[in-house]
Amino acid sequence: MAESWDRARVLALAPDASSQRAAQSLTSGRSWPAAGAGPGSLWGECRGSGSAPYRTVVDLTGPAYRCSCPSRKFPCKHALALLLRWADGTVAEDAGEPPDWAAGWLAGRAGRTSRAAAGPAGEPKDQKTAARRAEQRETRVASGLTELDRWLCDQVRQGLATSQQAGYRHWDDIAARMVDAQAGGLAERLRDLAAVPRSGPGWDARLLEEYALLRLLAVAYGRRASLPAALRETVRSRIGFSLRQADVLAGGEPVRDHWQVLARRDVEQDRVRARRTWLRGRQSGRPALVLSFAPAGASLDNSLTPGTDADADLVFYPGAVPLRAIVRARHGTAGGRPPDGGSIAGLLAGYAAALAADPWLDTWPALLRVRPARAQGQAVSDLAGDALPLHPEAGVCWTLLALSGGHPVTVAGEWTPRGLWPLTAWDEDGRAVPL
Amino acid sequence: MRTWQDLVTASLIGTERAAVPAVLLPVAPGRADDPDAPRPDAPRPADPAAFLLDQAALLAAARRGGRRAERAEPLPAAEPDPVPAVSRAAGRRLARMLGGEQSDLLPEWLAAVTARGRRVPAHLLPALLQHARRGVTADAGLRRLAAEAGGPRARWLAGLNPEWAFVLSYGPASEDAWRLGDIARRRGYLATLRAADPGGARDLVAASWDAAGPDERVMFLYALAAGLSLDDEPLLEAALDDHHAWVRKAAADLLAALPGSALSGRMAERARHRLHRQRGLDGDGPDGDGLLVSPPGECDAAMRRDGITPPGPGSPLAARAALLLDLLARTPLRTWTERFGLTPAEIAGLDAGDWSPVLQAGWARAAIAQSRYDRGAGEWMAALIERPLRHGLAEHGLSNHGLSNHGLSSRSAAAAEVLGQLARRAAPVLGAPGALPEPRPDDPPFLGDAVRVLRFRYQMLKELEDDDRAA
Repeated sequence: MAESWDRARVLALAPDASSQRAAQSLTSGRSWPAAGAGPGSLWGECRGSGSAPYRTVVDLTGPAYRCSCPSRKFPCKHALALLLRWADGTVAEDAGEPPDWAAGWLAGRAGRTSRAAAGPAGEPKDQKTAARRAEQRETRVASGLTELDRWLCDQVRQGLATSQQAGYRHWDDIAARMVDAQAGGLAERLRDLAAVPRSGPGWDARLLEEYALLRLLAVAYGRRASLPAALRETVRSRIGFSLRQADVLAGGEPVRDHWQVLARRDVEQDRVRARRTWLRGRQSGRPALVLSFAPAGASLDNSLTPGTDADADLVFYPGAVPLRAIVRARHGTAGGRPPDGGSIAGLLAGYAAALAADPWLDTWPALLRVRPARAQGQAVSDLAGDALPLHPEAGVCWTLLALSGGHPVTVAGEWTPRGLWPLTAWDEDGRAVPL
Repeated sequence: MRTWQDLVTASLIGTERAAVPAVLLPVAPGRADDPDAPRPDAPRPADPAAFLLDQAALLAAARRGGRRAERAEPLPAAEPDPVPAVSRAAGRRLARMLGGEQSDLLPEWLAAVTARGRRVPAHLLPALLQHARRGVTADAGLRRLAAEAGGPRARWLAGLNPEWAFVLSYGPASEDAWRLGDIARRRGYLATLRAADPGGARDLVAASWDAAGPDERVMFLYALAAGLSLDDEPLLEAALDDHHAWVRKAAADLLAALPGSALSGRMAERARHRLHRQRGLDGDGPDGDGLLVSPPGECDAAMRRDGITPPGPGSPLAARAALLLDLLARTPLRTWTERFGLTPAEIAGLDAGDWSPVLQAGWARAAIAQSRYDRGAGEWMAALIERPLRHGLAEHGLSNHGLSNHGLSSRSAAAAEVLGQLARRAAPVLGAPGALPEPRPDDPPFLGDAVRVLRFRYQMLKELEDDDRAA
């Protein structure tokens, strides 16, 4: 059981004073016909103005919240009130298993956070239990993937045209089943797909690509025994099997280099913020990706600043294209010289080579010497006259335009099948400017 | 790639109704005997949907990996800017100001950048132009300064974003701009001419006056404010009889600030005998040294012509205070140093009882208006800022009691407003470390705000000077 909190700690989570007041007015027992607490979690049904009660779940480890109310405040007054009741000791601690509506979400979170933190949480008691659990998980994942494959084939059998009318539920449901099957990586990918039918022209081709690659993942997992070890790791990590950081550090050779910090991008997924930091070895030219996570509102790891060099040992996660890495030891930081941007042909060749090893790779580091250009949309072109589009959702990149003034600049970013997402550019004094 | 599109079409319709097209699967050259290469003899799934997905997976990877570079037309390049950008420290400060910290000091910062032959760093231009665009139209000054400090790169950007088109109207203006342009372009032309040939600009205004509407006449007068001299006085005096009140007001404001103007002489005459120095009001010590105030009772036609606003309805005492304030704000400050034979700091320190806040506010407004043409006004501004910091506000009469009982409420808010303006106009050296005492904890917050503004201005201008030294 997590340590008990006092009211001040709960109220400090409120987004504003009116939420604090509203939550405190909801703490009477009358408002909560049902509530319970489990290890590290709370759930309850709060009577609102409507006939159906609001269903509130709190994961104390984040903390993270989910509530069926329409409030845009986060956490909402119901989650705060439930926490207050718990702080007051008026929530039953031995309420048994959480109800299904709470358990699904909690299980999904547990899967995600263990993957995110890759920490030593839930250290298995002994080897035997660990082996049994691992086996259970493999079985669950395997049956989950069979179900996913069936679902994917159903989509194509009925025709993707129907998915343009489908709501987010359509993908949330199958994603939830992947969470139950402990395949959290797939769940995340599936949830993201809900936006594809509304992503403009070409959505049908994009959805087909994603479905096809998901089935490829399912098929690959089915044949995991015959896959090369590195590819097997890639398949497993994309499905959602996470390696513990300690195991990665123990199993990999440290790679020391002057790692140029090229770019970073923060994304928010389901109330967890993720930061992708792209590095490049000055001597080796090798790309690396360092991930860090934080709950919404908390600050992300700031130790790798674009425009600087880190003299560090990195240890790479195993995989067919080892990109993700952990900083094992840092020996120093230096203000880096600006990197040398490459050609578009070189970027595409590098991405093609990486795809040959990992066909699911859809985010690849780009470091280019380009100037802004215009095709159907925004684009960049290099000295050879080759051009690539910018990602349509990157918006008009005014900072990049201002910085270049139509002249070549060095740009770092992420190359994706939809286009280049620019993240950093270097000005004429060699200073890195985030875009 | 037709085969891919066929697959997409079939997947849209659904394999229940559409046949799965046979697709020529890509095999990389030289990989035909690679065991990992797709094998044509791989078992074909019985389910057409699965078969379609398998083919799509191969093609998806092949399409992504085989993607070719496209062609696109590079944007025309901006003309080079020989002017160096400000230092990184100054750039960081600009970013802070654009983020909301002391952002009302942006015009001063931008003017200082241009005056020192520097420019805004390119990557901050979008935020600056966006900020200038959002400003109300009255902030034409900010837009002009942003355009000037942005240089050719700002004009290049404005060519790409219609929202920033205002930048283009501040470029070098031709005579066409005067004949055909809108009021902003005409203003630009007139400002350039005024800087190069003050008399020529005055003649142009005089020749264009009759045909101009009231807004344009006000614009003319504000353009003449740069480099204002007694040569401009006849034109301004004539404008005091203009048909439109706001034209008259603009002319009166300028004449009041212009040293040696007939209007400022008339003001001095009206104001001189409203303040009397009285020694030993409450005894013989220097603390008893004070001012006796006899506020004007009415606003006659000559006062109105010279720009004094007749007070609105209210108590007789409030009306007299408002008249006194307006009169003091338009009276040359040297009237007082000459009359009393004291320095501005000594005069500002004289106790006038409940009238003190009115005097402070009137002098402050006069100092702000006259500082443009009279160096002596700077000493007044320094004195009016330092006084409350060194001696506190309460003893100085800026508290709310006394006159407030007669309807002159919220004098403290007025004092805050005036002090804020002083801090923005006074010599930035007042913000140098140690130049002003730290505000005390029990001082009203606007004193601390004023000191912060001065210190910020001092630092921002020092940064730009350091740039000069480094260059």
